[in-house]
Amino acid sequence: MARIHTAKPTATKTPEAISPMGEAWGQFLRNRPAVFGLVLLAAIVAFVLYGRYGFAGDPYRIVWGPLTAPGVREGVYLGTDFLGRDLLTGLLKGGAPTLAVGISAAFLTVVIGIAVGALAGFFGGWMDDLLMRLTEFFQVLPALLFAMVLVTLFSPSLFTISFAIGIVSWPPTARLTRAEFLRIRELEYVTAARSIGASNRRIIWRVILPNALPPLIVSATLTVGVAILFEAGLSFLGLGDPNTISWGLMIGQNRGYLLEAWWPVAIPGIAIFLTVFAVSLVGDGLNDAFNPKLRSR
Amino acid sequence: MLMKRRTLFGALASVLALGIGLATAQPRTGGEMVIVSGENPRHLNPAVQSGVATAVPGTQIFASPLRVDENWNFHPYLAQSWDWSDDGLSLTLNLVDNAVFHDGVPVTSADVAFSIMTIKANHPFQTMFGPVEAVDTPDPHTAIIRLSAPHPALLLALTGALCPIIPQHVYGDGQDVRDHPANNAPVGSGPFRLAEYRPGEQITLERFDDFFIDGRPYLDGITIRIVRDAASVTLSLESGEADAGIITDASAITRLGATDGLTVTPRGFEGIGPIQWLAFNTRVAPLDDVRVRQAIAYSMDRDFILNALMRGVAASQQGPIIESSPFFNPDMPSYNLDLDRANALLDEAGYPRDADGNRFTITMDTIPGRDSALGNVPEYLRSQLREVGINVELRTSPDFPTWAGRLASGDFQMSMDVVFNWGDPVIGVHRTYLSSNIRPVIWSNTQGYVNARVDELLAEAGSTLDTDARRALYAEFQDIVGAELPVYWINALPYHHVFDDRIELPLSIWGMMQSMDEVYWTEDR
Amino acid sequence: MGTLRYILQRLFYGLILITGVVVLNFFLIHAAPGDAAEVIAGEMGGITEEMMAEIRANYGLDQPILVQLGLYLSQILRGDLGMSYHFNQPVTTLIGQRVGATILLALSAQVLAMVLGVVLGVLAARKPQGILSGFVSVFSTVGYAAPVFWTGLMLVVLFSVVVPIFPVEGMISARFRGDAFDYALNVLHHLVLPASTLAILFLAQYARLSRAAMIEVLGADYVRTARAKGLGEWRVTFHHALRNAVLPILTVAGIQFGNLISGALLVETVFNWPGMGRLAFDSVLRRDYPTLLGVLFFASAVVVIANLLTDLSYRLADPRIRTGGR
Repeated sequence: MARIHTAKPTATKTPEAISPMGEAWGQFLRNRPAVFGLVLLAAIVAFVLYGRYGFAGDPYRIVWGPLTAPGVREGVYLGTDFLGRDLLTGLLKGGAPTLAVGISAAFLTVVIGIAVGALAGFFGGWMDDLLMRLTEFFQVLPALLFAMVLVTLFSPSLFTISFAIGIVSWPPTARLTRAEFLRIRELEYVTAARSIGASNRRIIWRVILPNALPPLIVSATLTVGVAILFEAGLSFLGLGDPNTISWGLMIGQNRGYLLEAWWPVAIPGIAIFLTVFAVSLVGDGLNDAFNPKLRSR
Repeated sequence: MLMKRRTLFGALASVLALGIGLATAQPRTGGEMVIVSGENPRHLNPAVQSGVATAVPGTQIFASPLRVDENWNFHPYLAQSWDWSDDGLSLTLNLVDNAVFHDGVPVTSADVAFSIMTIKANHPFQTMFGPVEAVDTPDPHTAIIRLSAPHPALLLALTGALCPIIPQHVYGDGQDVRDHPANNAPVGSGPFRLAEYRPGEQITLERFDDFFIDGRPYLDGITIRIVRDAASVTLSLESGEADAGIITDASAITRLGATDGLTVTPRGFEGIGPIQWLAFNTRVAPLDDVRVRQAIAYSMDRDFILNALMRGVAASQQGPIIESSPFFNPDMPSYNLDLDRANALLDEAGYPRDADGNRFTITMDTIPGRDSALGNVPEYLRSQLREVGINVELRTSPDFPTWAGRLASGDFQMSMDVVFNWGDPVIGVHRTYLSSNIRPVIWSNTQGYVNARVDELLAEAGSTLDTDARRALYAEFQDIVGAELPVYWINALPYHHVFDDRIELPLSIWGMMQSMDEVYWTEDR
Repeated sequence: MGTLRYILQRLFYGLILITGVVVLNFFLIHAAPGDAAEVIAGEMGGITEEMMAEIRANYGLDQPILVQLGLYLSQILRGDLGMSYHFNQPVTTLIGQRVGATILLALSAQVLAMVLGVVLGVLAARKPQGILSGFVSVFSTVGYAAPVFWTGLMLVVLFSVVVPIFPVEGMISARFRGDAFDYALNVLHHLVLPASTLAILFLAQYARLSRAAMIEVLGADYVRTARAKGLGEWRVTFHHALRNAVLPILTVAGIQFGNLISGALLVETVFNWPGMGRLAFDSVLRRDYPTLLGVLFFASAVVVIANLLTDLSYRLADPRIRTGGR
């Protein structure tokens, strides 16, 4: 499920590029797919926030006959699911949990990934060996299967699902962070900081991490998409949180009625697709913006 | 309700065929039948394994002493005749003398005795052969079953998947029968023998040429294809990739019922009597109060469940005994949607609404892996109970043992469940209501229901041979549990048989869970 | 460092990793409420406590957990993964019956994705600002952004229901009878939809990867030289440039193996493909833990070996790389 982050360590070797953010932003804005992705993402987030805070509908309420097609009945714009619950209401209310799982799982991924990668890359030696073995261990573990075991064990809830996704997804981030740290710690300005007696903690936090950030931001962005897909996969397999409507759960619940009605499966699927698509476009855009090699062409 | 679609041409053809004579009534030999199954059998030996998935192939491979037809009448099978003793404490089976197992060894009374005692010791249905003390074998073709008390369900227990005759020379080798290697490569004396078994994928059965009934089976073979996804099951029947199947999914039943060339019928499940119910843990508040249980029953619109959720394909089920059974009591208390009454009962029970209109929160478990058949009823109940101020928290179990463990240990409040009647109340009904059967095991009296009169009535009905007397006893039993509601019975799970119109398939109360040696294709497929 | 020594060292590490996977999951599974006796009790249709106690004794479930773990590990050493509770068969048999189906599915998807992806990527890289390039970068994201099971379901609706040209489920028709050639055709017919579903997921990555790699390589001096020598554009692209873009693609292919297994799990569930993924899924839902552990063991072994093979082919493809202490 997880994709390989194509983000590469930035090739800039000069300290002037320490703050490439402004330039990258300009580059990002020239990238049409990325801007499209950003606009799409903003629209989706607005939709979800409206559903969460501005919209009073009850996604569990049965409003009309089961499996009513979109547009057949006025007010039921996207049709109903297998119970006759309004799909649009479901989409509105199901967005927040979906995004929440995506973001919190990505957050966990990034936190573990950066912690492991930074320690391994900065200190090297036995610490590096130990942490990299740990990383390999989690890479060898079949991710979806292991997440299923975890969710089965702790019984499915948004929290356990985010946790399970985070636990299985961090190795690529850790590797990326480590590579960045390995590269940056040899650079002149780090040596300089060390020579004036800066503490390790200060060097990690204030000197190396800010410079390693661009590819990590890309990676974090893409991880949100991965996590959303992951949650959908678990829900599809019947391991979603049954008490919280999410887009993945909507697909899973309506799957048995696919032959009669495609819309209760297709519509939440499209919502997931658009979200992940937007997130990926933004992630790719950031990647291109931070990566001057592609820029030069 | 028999949904049979024929083209005008088809109808015309059958009229013509009738006109020509009885030519088409003569069974034709040959052809194969592909059955699609949504469930995976653990293995193929019904002697130590209950359930439809094992029963369908198991009854083709193993023959049983008797058969039963669609009217609950018994017929000879491995036993060509049988006699009750006058005191009702022994039953003599006279076996056919030409039956052999698939490995060529003759079937004898010793195998019958061995099988019955093995089933008694290992089968989950302990009441089935509970009163059997011994099986005597005076000669190779006579078996006498000796009982400690009269047993009204004995003949039924000798039919279909309940009493497969397994070979003593294979299973008597001292290994545990429950995980005997032969359960995956069974040797029986039934009309078909196992050709290939790919667990979780396909079971291929081929005609057994030395079957003891001359000229049978008519089919050359039966292939059982295991397909776990309900939509795929439907599609494979629709496209003709499979010829027959058992389905429980309302949308599949409706869709296939409207498909040309397919017969879809609820017949053939009178035996298993699958009841979908909402179980209450009667030991814990607030469900220890009968008024709360009744209020929940009054909150549900059975018509909506039957018509909208089940699309009119499921039968109503008001009580503990399946409504198609002769023992069902139609006058027992019933509950229909009455929200005012439900609210009043809850107020009376001392659970007033709070400022937000809520009375209490309660958890409902669901049995995992049956989503499409019953997944929508729990969702509906949740929506509906909100109307009377009860918040339902759904607790799904990620896997079967988690759910079974919760129910068995009493760690639940309400749970959706499907429980089978298995033909006679003695086998499938008593276990849920007897106070002596409150055990930490799934599908026992996990509700913790205790009523001394019920215990008495069931004990008596279980050792009375006279059908009318039993009916009266069960009528009173149903009145009591109907009023006290240890479980709320909702509907019969809509099990349906589907098969190609060109297949002649006699459906007994066991449906495809009995020998299909009489099944044939009326024309080439 | 010699290649042989390198292989041995990697295998040794791999062995430790796999053991770790098994031990971790063994403890996790045993920490859960409910045990195998309850699984079997439920599977049989409800049984008595005495029978459950008997089952616990038979399967050694009444032993302390460390003893059980020790027994299990020594079993594995003897090549025995235990008996499945659900299928009532040796786990090795079950895996043996299914591994072929999964390999067939995963490899066809992998090859399909790689070939199509590389072709698209290479074409796009030749004109990085062109329409095709934009198309590739957008549409490669499209394939990846849709949940793989959802893509599968939609393909079923399209090509098995609306336009019924492919079978709905399975790997071989239930009533198939015929020779090896017919068999292959029949399987191929069943393979199209699941393999495409899985390939769509990975196609994107190969396309974007080869595009990026090619853009980089096409700018390199030796390619400029080749061009300057007047070699044809196709020859430059495929002969000189692609050869150098192969490395990153290979790397990804190796790393992908774990993800391929996760993807296969979902795709097999959708298409009723009789592979390891469905076996794993069933074993999770049934808490059939001998099978589950067996599948985890096997899957992690496959990943370890795939990674090793990737590294080796890496060394072959580019002798400059000496993968030392990584």
